[in-house]
Amino acid sequence: MKCPKNKHLIWSAAALVMILIVTAFFFDRMVENSRMETDLDEYMPYDHPAFIFSDQAEDMFNIKDGILIAVENKGGIYNPATLKKIKDLTRALQQMKEIHKDDVTSLYTAENIVGTEEGLDVKDFYSSIPKTEDALQKLRDDVRNNEMVYKRLVSENEEITLIVAEIADDVFTIEFYHEILDLAKSYEGPEILHVAGVPIVEGTLAYLAPKDMMIMVPIVIAVIILVLYFVMRSVRNTIFTLLVVLFSTIWAFGLMAVFGIPIYSVSTMIPVMLIAIGVADGIHLYSHLDLFLFEHPNANKIDAVKDMIKGMWKPIAMTSVTTAIGFISLLTSDVYPIKYFGVFTAFGVMMAMVFSLVLIPAAIIVFGLPRRKAHKEKSKEESGELAYKFADGAVKFKALVISVTAIIIVASIIGINEVWINSSFLDKFEKDSDIVLTDAFINQHFGGTNTINVILDSEEYDKFKDPDVQRLIDKMQSDVESIDVVGNSFSLADYLKRMNKVMHADDEAYNIIPGSHDLIAQYLLLYEMSGDPENLWKVVDYDYKQANVNVQLKSDNSKEINRAIEILEKYRSEFSDLGVNLNYAGSGYKALIFSDLILEGQIKSLLISLLLIIILLSLMFRKLSIGFIGSIPIVITAAISFGLMGLLDIPLSTTTALISSIAVGIGIDYAVHFIERYKIYALESGDKSLTIKETMHHSGRAISFNAMVVIAGFLVLLFSVFPPNRSLGALVSLNMFTSFLGTVTIMFLVLYKSNVYFKKKNSAKHKDGNN
Amino acid sequence: MKLVKILLMTMLVTVIGFESQAQEKLTGQQIIENVYYRETGNDATSDLTMTLINSRGSERVREIKQFSKDYGKEEKSIMFFLSPADVRNTSFMNWSYDQAGRDDDQWIYLPALKKVKRISSDSKSDYFMGSDFTYDDLGDRHPSEDTHKLLREEKLNGEDCYVVESIPKEKGYMYSRTVTWVIKDKWIGMKKEFYDEDGDHLKTLSVEKYDKIDGYWVILHSEMHNVQKDHRTIMNLKNVQINIGIDDGMFTERMMKRGL
Repeated sequence: MKCPKNKHLIWSAAALVMILIVTAFFFDRMVENSRMETDLDEYMPYDHPAFIFSDQAEDMFNIKDGILIAVENKGGIYNPATLKKIKDLTRALQQMKEIHKDDVTSLYTAENIVGTEEGLDVKDFYSSIPKTEDALQKLRDDVRNNEMVYKRLVSENEEITLIVAEIADDVFTIEFYHEILDLAKSYEGPEILHVAGVPIVEGTLAYLAPKDMMIMVPIVIAVIILVLYFVMRSVRNTIFTLLVVLFSTIWAFGLMAVFGIPIYSVSTMIPVMLIAIGVADGIHLYSHLDLFLFEHPNANKIDAVKDMIKGMWKPIAMTSVTTAIGFISLLTSDVYPIKYFGVFTAFGVMMAMVFSLVLIPAAIIVFGLPRRKAHKEKSKEESGELAYKFADGAVKFKALVISVTAIIIVASIIGINEVWINSSFLDKFEKDSDIVLTDAFINQHFGGTNTINVILDSEEYDKFKDPDVQRLIDKMQSDVESIDVVGNSFSLADYLKRMNKVMHADDEAYNIIPGSHDLIAQYLLLYEMSGDPENLWKVVDYDYKQANVNVQLKSDNSKEINRAIEILEKYRSEFSDLGVNLNYAGSGYKALIFSDLILEGQIKSLLISLLLIIILLSLMFRKLSIGFIGSIPIVITAAISFGLMGLLDIPLSTTTALISSIAVGIGIDYAVHFIERYKIYALESGDKSLTIKETMHHSGRAISFNAMVVIAGFLVLLFSVFPPNRSLGALVSLNMFTSFLGTVTIMFLVLYKSNVYFKKKNSAKHKDGNN
Repeated sequence: MKLVKILLMTMLVTVIGFESQAQEKLTGQQIIENVYYRETGNDATSDLTMTLINSRGSERVREIKQFSKDYGKEEKSIMFFLSPADVRNTSFMNWSYDQAGRDDDQWIYLPALKKVKRISSDSKSDYFMGSDFTYDDLGDRHPSEDTHKLLREEKLNGEDCYVVESIPKEKGYMYSRTVTWVIKDKWIGMKKEFYDEDGDHLKTLSVEKYDKIDGYWVILHSEMHNVQKDHRTIMNLKNVQINIGIDDGMFTERMMKRGL
C-alpha cells in the first residue's frame, strides 16, 4: 500500500520539477529574445498583388506618410517672427536624420509659379525673412493668388500654416515620435503648434496601447483570481488553474522567441485566448473532483485523482485537440502574424491540456487534496438545485428557446452582411482626446490629414502629355473633391492648369488643361527650366507613362475612404477607353485592403474549422449527429459576435476580428464536456430526465464557472481609458456569454430532442410526447 | 651639334620645370581666375546632347543646337531644341552680364503657343533645363563671389592638378563649399565636388573628355552626378566650331521664332 503511493509521489514530484525547468527555459528565451514588432508594414502580405503594386508606386513617386505641424498665430502668420519660426522649424526638420531634406514642405520651401506681364516666373515665396510692411503684404498676395498653396499650406483665415515632413515607414520609433513633439513644443509661444498626421497617430497608438494594458492586465488577472477563488473555494485550486494558463502562455511565447518570431499586436490575443480556454480545463477537473469527493467523502487522494483522470482525460483531450485544429485553420490566412497567432495559440492550447492532465493531478498528489470549506456542502446542494431547475425549465420553455434562437440566427445573418472592419487609427482614440481634436482642427483648415493615391498607368510613352487624359484626371479630381471627406486633390493636371493660366497673363479663362500635346510638353520643359523638376516626379514618372493623383482625405475611417474610392471607381472604364489603368497606393489604401483580408480570412478560417470540428466530433463520438449538435455553440457564438456588430454598425478592428476565434475554442469546450457527460449519464442510467439534470449539474456548473471567471476578468477592460481595449473586454465577455448560453439552452435542447444515446427510441418519444 | 641639341633640350626642360614651379606658388584665387578667364573664343556653335538619367536608370535625351557670342561685358547665347519631337523648335535665349548683381535676361519661345515669353530667374542657383547643372555650375559664377584656398596638388587621371576649395561669401548660398581639381596649364576644372548648405556631399562633376579645338580648350563630355538623389546629367558636345563670326542677328526674338 505504501510503495505505490510513494511511486505516485515521486513521479508527480518529478513531473512538477520537469515542467518548472522547461518553463524556466522558455521564460528565459521569452525575456531574452522577444521583441515587439511595431512596424505595421511587417504585417502586410508582401506577395499580394495590391501590395506589390502599391509598394512599387510608393517607391516610384516617393509616396510617404506625412507628419503635419500646424503653426498657428491668432494674429496672423504674416509677421517676421512667425515667418522666421516657419523657416527655422523647416530647417530643423530637414536636419533630422530620419527626414530627407527634400521631404519637408512648408511656405519656406514651396515654390511659387507666377505669371508676369511678359511670361512666367518660378521662385521662392521667401528665403530671407520679409521685414517691411510692403514685403509682408506682397507675400500675402503671392499666397492668395496661388491655389497650389493657398488653403493647402496656408489656411484661409491666414492664421495657420502647415509644415509637412514626410518620412519612410521604417524610420519611425517611439524616440523619434517624442523628439518631434519636443521639437514642436520648443517653438511655441505666442504661436501654438499642433502636430498631427498618420505617423503621429500611429505613434501615439503604439505608445498608449501598451501603457494602458500595463495598468489593466494586472487588474484583469486579479479579478480572475478572485472569481476563480469564489467558485472553487480553494486557494490551491485557484493557483494551479492559473498556473496552467500562465505556463501555457510562457511556453507559447517562449517557443515564438526560440523561432525568432517577433510579437505582433495580434499576438497579444494569444494570452487572451489561453486565459479564456485554459481556465476551463482546470475548472472542469476540479469540478469533477469536487463532485467525486462529495459522493465519496472518505476517498484518499490517489483514488480521487484516478477517478478525475479517468472521467476527464477524454473530454479534455478532445476539446484541446479540436480547439487546436480550429486555430491551426488560421494558417489559411494571407497575413503572417495571423498564421503565427493560430499556430502558437494551438500550441498553447495543447500545452494547457498537458499541464491540466499532469500538473493538476501531480499537484494533488504532492500537496494533497484541496481543503473543503465547512459551508461547501450547502452551496453544493443549492447549485445542484439550480442546475436541475434550469434543465427542467429549458425543456419546459423549449418553444421559446428555439424561437428566440431562430430570431437571433436570422438577425445575425442579416447583421453579418453588414460587418466591416475599420482600419482607422484615429477612431481608436476617444472623441475628445488631443490627437482627435488636433486632427479635426487641421482638417477644418486644410485639405486633409490622410491621403489616398490614385495611380494611373499606361504602356505608352508620353501618355500623360495627352490633353484628353489630363482633362479626365481633372474631371475626376473635381468630382471626388465634391464629397465632404475629400478636402483636396493634386496631380500633374494642377501644374498644367496653373502654367496655362500664368502664361496667359493670369487669365482665369485659361485655368484649364492646355489644348495640345505639344503645348503640354513645352510647358513642362518650361517648368523644368524654371522650377525644381523634382516636384514633377511626385506626380508623374520620367517617361510620362504613369501618374499619381493625390487625394487628400479628412478621415481615415474605412467607410469614408470607400466613399471616395466609389467615386474614383466610376472613372475606371473611361480611363480604360484611353488605354490607362487605374489603381491605388499608399498606406491608407493598404490598411483598407489589409483589413478586408483579415475579415475575409477570419470568416474563411471559421468555416474551415467548423467543418473540421464537425468531422472530428463525428469521429470521436462515432455519430454524425453529434458532430452537428456539437457545432451549435460555435455557430451561435460566431453568428452573434459578427451579427451584433453588423446590426449595431460597430466596426471590428484587425485585432478584435480575431476574437471570434474564441467561438471555436470555447464553443467546442463547452459542447464536448457537456455531450461527454450527457453520454456517460445516459449510458449509465438510461433515464433521460435524470441524465439532463445530472449533466446540467456536472458540466453546466463547470461551464458557468468558466464563463463567469473569464467574463468577470474581461469586463474590467470596460474601465480602460483606451477604446480598443474596451471593445476587447466587451467582445470577449459577449463571446463567453453566448457560448455558455448557447450550450446550456439550444444545444442542450437539440441534444435532448435528438434522443442520441437512448436506445429505446420509441418509448423516449412517447415519454417526450407526454411532456 | 648633337650635343648642343641635347644641351638645349635639357635647358628647355629646366626652364619649363622652373616655370611650372613658379606657377605652384599661385593662390587659390588666381587659379580659379585662370579657369574663369580661360580664353574660349569670341563665338562658338555646337550640337549639345543632354542626357538625363534618374535613379531607376530611366533616360531622357534632348538634342540642342546652340550658339553663343562674347560681347566683352555681356555674353549672349541661343539654343534650339531638335528633339524630342514635341518640343522641337522650342528656343531659349540667355543674355548674361559681367556686372556683379545683375540677373541674366532669359526668353523662351514655345512654338505651340507661338509666343516669346520672358522667364526671369531669381538666382543663378536655378537648375539648367531640369538638369543637375545650375547656371553657376556651367561657368557663370564670378571668382569674386567665393573665397578660394589652394588645398594641395595631386595627380588625377594622369593630369597634374591643383585642388582648390571655394567657400561662398554670401550666406545661405545653395552650396556651403566646393572643391575643384584644376588641370595645371590647361585651366580646366576636371572634377568638382559640391557640398550642400548642411555640409553634406551633394554633387560631383566629372569631365570625361576635353580637346583643343581651333586653339581653345573645350570640354566635350562631362557628367554631373547628384549623389543625394542619384540623378545624373551627361552633356556631350559635337560639331564644335569656334570663331566663325556669328551674326548679331542670331540673338534676337525674331530668330527665336524663326527657328533654324
